[in-house]
Amino acid sequence: MAEGLNRREFLAYSAAGAGVFGLASTGLASFLESQVQMAIVRWTGPAPVSLSEEQKVVSKLTEQVLEALGGIRRFVKQGDVVWIKPNIAWDRTREQAANTNPDLVATLVRLCLDAGAKRVKVGDNPCDLAQKTYLTSGIAEAAKKAGAQIVYLDRERFREVNIKGERIKTIPIYPEMMEADVLINVPIAKHHRLATATLCMKNYMGVIENRQLFHQDIPTSLADITRFMKPQFCILDCTRIMLANGPKGGRLEDVEAKWTIAAGTDIVALDAFGAEMLRRKPEEVGSIKKAVEVGLGTMDYRSLKPKEIALS
Amino acid sequence: MKIGLIVLPRWMRRVVQVGFLILFLWMVLVSWAPTEGVPSGWLKAFFLADPLLLVLTGVAARALPPLFLWSLVSIVVTMLFGRIFCGWVCPLGTVHSLAGWAFDKVQSRAKRRDAYSPWQKAKYYVLAAGLAMALFGGHWISLFDPLVLLYRTTATAIYPAFQWAVEETAHSVFQADPHVGPVVLGPVQIGPWHLTSLTEPVYQFFRDHVFSLPRQAFLGAGLVWLVFGLMVAANGYRRRFWCRYLCPLGALLGLLGRWPMLRRQVTAEGCNQCGLCLTACHGASASEAGQTWRPSECLMCLNCSAQCVRESCCFRLVSLPWKKQPPLESVGLSRRGLVWSALGGLLALAGLRATPQGRAKHYYHPHLIRPPGARPEPEFLARCTGCALCMKVCPTGGLQPAITEAGLEGIFTPRLVPLIGHCDYNCTACGHVCPTEAIRPLSLEEKHQFKIGLAAFDPSRCIPYVYGRNCIVCEEHCPVPEKAIYCVPQEIMLRTGQFQTVQLPRVDPNRCIGCGVCEHVCPLDDQPGIRVLSTNEIRHPRHQPIPPEIPSHEQLPYR
Repeated sequence: MAEGLNRREFLAYSAAGAGVFGLASTGLASFLESQVQMAIVRWTGPAPVSLSEEQKVVSKLTEQVLEALGGIRRFVKQGDVVWIKPNIAWDRTREQAANTNPDLVATLVRLCLDAGAKRVKVGDNPCDLAQKTYLTSGIAEAAKKAGAQIVYLDRERFREVNIKGERIKTIPIYPEMMEADVLINVPIAKHHRLATATLCMKNYMGVIENRQLFHQDIPTSLADITRFMKPQFCILDCTRIMLANGPKGGRLEDVEAKWTIAAGTDIVALDAFGAEMLRRKPEEVGSIKKAVEVGLGTMDYRSLKPKEIALS
Repeated sequence: MKIGLIVLPRWMRRVVQVGFLILFLWMVLVSWAPTEGVPSGWLKAFFLADPLLLVLTGVAARALPPLFLWSLVSIVVTMLFGRIFCGWVCPLGTVHSLAGWAFDKVQSRAKRRDAYSPWQKAKYYVLAAGLAMALFGGHWISLFDPLVLLYRTTATAIYPAFQWAVEETAHSVFQADPHVGPVVLGPVQIGPWHLTSLTEPVYQFFRDHVFSLPRQAFLGAGLVWLVFGLMVAANGYRRRFWCRYLCPLGALLGLLGRWPMLRRQVTAEGCNQCGLCLTACHGASASEAGQTWRPSECLMCLNCSAQCVRESCCFRLVSLPWKKQPPLESVGLSRRGLVWSALGGLLALAGLRATPQGRAKHYYHPHLIRPPGARPEPEFLARCTGCALCMKVCPTGGLQPAITEAGLEGIFTPRLVPLIGHCDYNCTACGHVCPTEAIRPLSLEEKHQFKIGLAAFDPSRCIPYVYGRNCIVCEEHCPVPEKAIYCVPQEIMLRTGQFQTVQLPRVDPNRCIGCGVCEHVCPLDDQPGIRVLSTNEIRHPRHQPIPPEIPSHEQLPYR
């Protein structure tokens, strides 16, 4: 996914053979079985009451959703460097549902490593102080325990990249994220005052700097960055969702536990599903509407025949 | 009477001095706000052992943080052994020692007069003036406490300059990315070699383990450099000029150590009055070669006994300090001088205070936003030393020294500059490091309620108001769970005649605590569309121009 940026051109010759073979095999595989494009897994058993119960439920949900999508090996190959990009924006706890669930991230780290990933990095460009958001969200500890490398982004190491967007022409992007072989976008579904909802597309605002630029036209800017990022697949955390006072939140009254995780290859469809979880119509969310207009995916996620699974 | 010879060699003093200097600098470096909990109380240890701050704060604020009783140890040690603190412990004294040593390399000692000068009494008069000011709540002299001076200089001037050098070098190498190669040798290719493979690990080490936040820098650093430069340069005129002539802490310790048990003794038969001891003396404690010795000026540097070729000068312990044996020279202060300097101090205080800022009842500076936990202004100034410890630990770098905002009396006291950094919602670090509790240590619950100011939109700058476009970055960042910034949708007519709805942000004065994150994140980074002013700051009960909203069920009589 990082063709334009990869500085390791010298590897190209040696890698070319393997690449051709890899492409051919993926092409063949997708031809042989029409692959699942989206999966939704719900927990219908009793709601977890303790942290350890929650951990079990969330990791089971995560494993199932990836299983339904064809297994993590569909996306992560032996020796890949994986960057997991959760939402770690705010100095809030997991109960406040402003950041991705740490157990989801930890399970994903484990699955990637099991699939043979060389290294799994976890990092985001937070809005609050990074040291605090990583700690309070619980993500740093959980992901580290699972074997990931925790990366604190260095504000001085972003590079201005030409993303050739409709609204955003150039924007500083974190090179280390682009150099990873796979970037997995793992947002949480939340209310957002300006964007109506913050879902998968909005989560890409954590790979860039100078974010204020986006705020004056969020839908078009998000479509621009999404087109540039070429998402392979995303996982949407709806274990807890924030229904009001987003994106920072803080009030437990605004949070609802749904114990649901969705994943898929169509980022717009996932966002549409997330919008419905937040009790909105997908067309109410500007970025979804814009993304459909410019052909980034479909708003009618049901047309993709998502695999729906209930666990208990 | 004689207990015995003290066999402390001079190298031991030098080792102890450098050790304390390194300890001090290390404590400046590790003054961070931890991710969890509050900073360690040890960070203020040097200040708590400082008797000048004990006396000035005790007199000016008529209260003391109990931990300050540690400085009683320094007092007892000084009464027993003289100004050993100045000569062995004080890190600023060590800086002057090193400067004097460096000047010795470039100028001849003979040019410098190192015999006692009556002008050395100036520091006692400075202290007297400071105490007179303290009686009326003035804490100004603590700005010149040596520990405070050195902490401020290191934390706000030297350390940021060092950080700047490391960061700018690494960034410019990173951006330019100079490299050699690759070299192709048939099928094998080696390189390319990047300069960044050298600079990046060094930079990352400093970034991750030394620097507390990127690009930390402080307002008024030039002024701090100037004072520090003058202080160091003065060593070329007289060795340890600052310690001999001006230091108020040195004066206090000199008074306490007038009759120490540790005394210099020169044997009359051994001494031929060569004057070698005079050229080496740090404190200029003797007015002439021979037996004269003023313990109030002696820094116990031991240079005289180390220099004496005839070994006729040594330090001994005496068991009865009131015995005038060997003879001691007095400090030599006159009552008249003390009265005049006290009057001078009061005049200076009147000059410092008789400003609009000093009379806080009538004038509040809009941009004087004190950190959460700060006491009411007069009480705050009666405690704050301007040491900059709070500014060093502030995790956003937003706490900056006030240069003009608090008047000359409040120079170098902390104020929040949201354009540089906001007050982090879940941080109480500044109050927990303040040695004099000018900023009270707050619990997190108290801090969440502590209003340090009030945000106000500037409808002539704010993007939705002026340009009719949505923005609300401020609303998004507002940390108050119920949101102190809310949005009102409003339909506006565009140039084309079409209508569009924009979210217009407003501030709820009941909920805003003035943390300034809104001002900090405002896309208008020159003159933000929202600014935090000191309006409604909780520490001033009379500075509440926006009263709490009246609940809707309460009917006003005239409605």
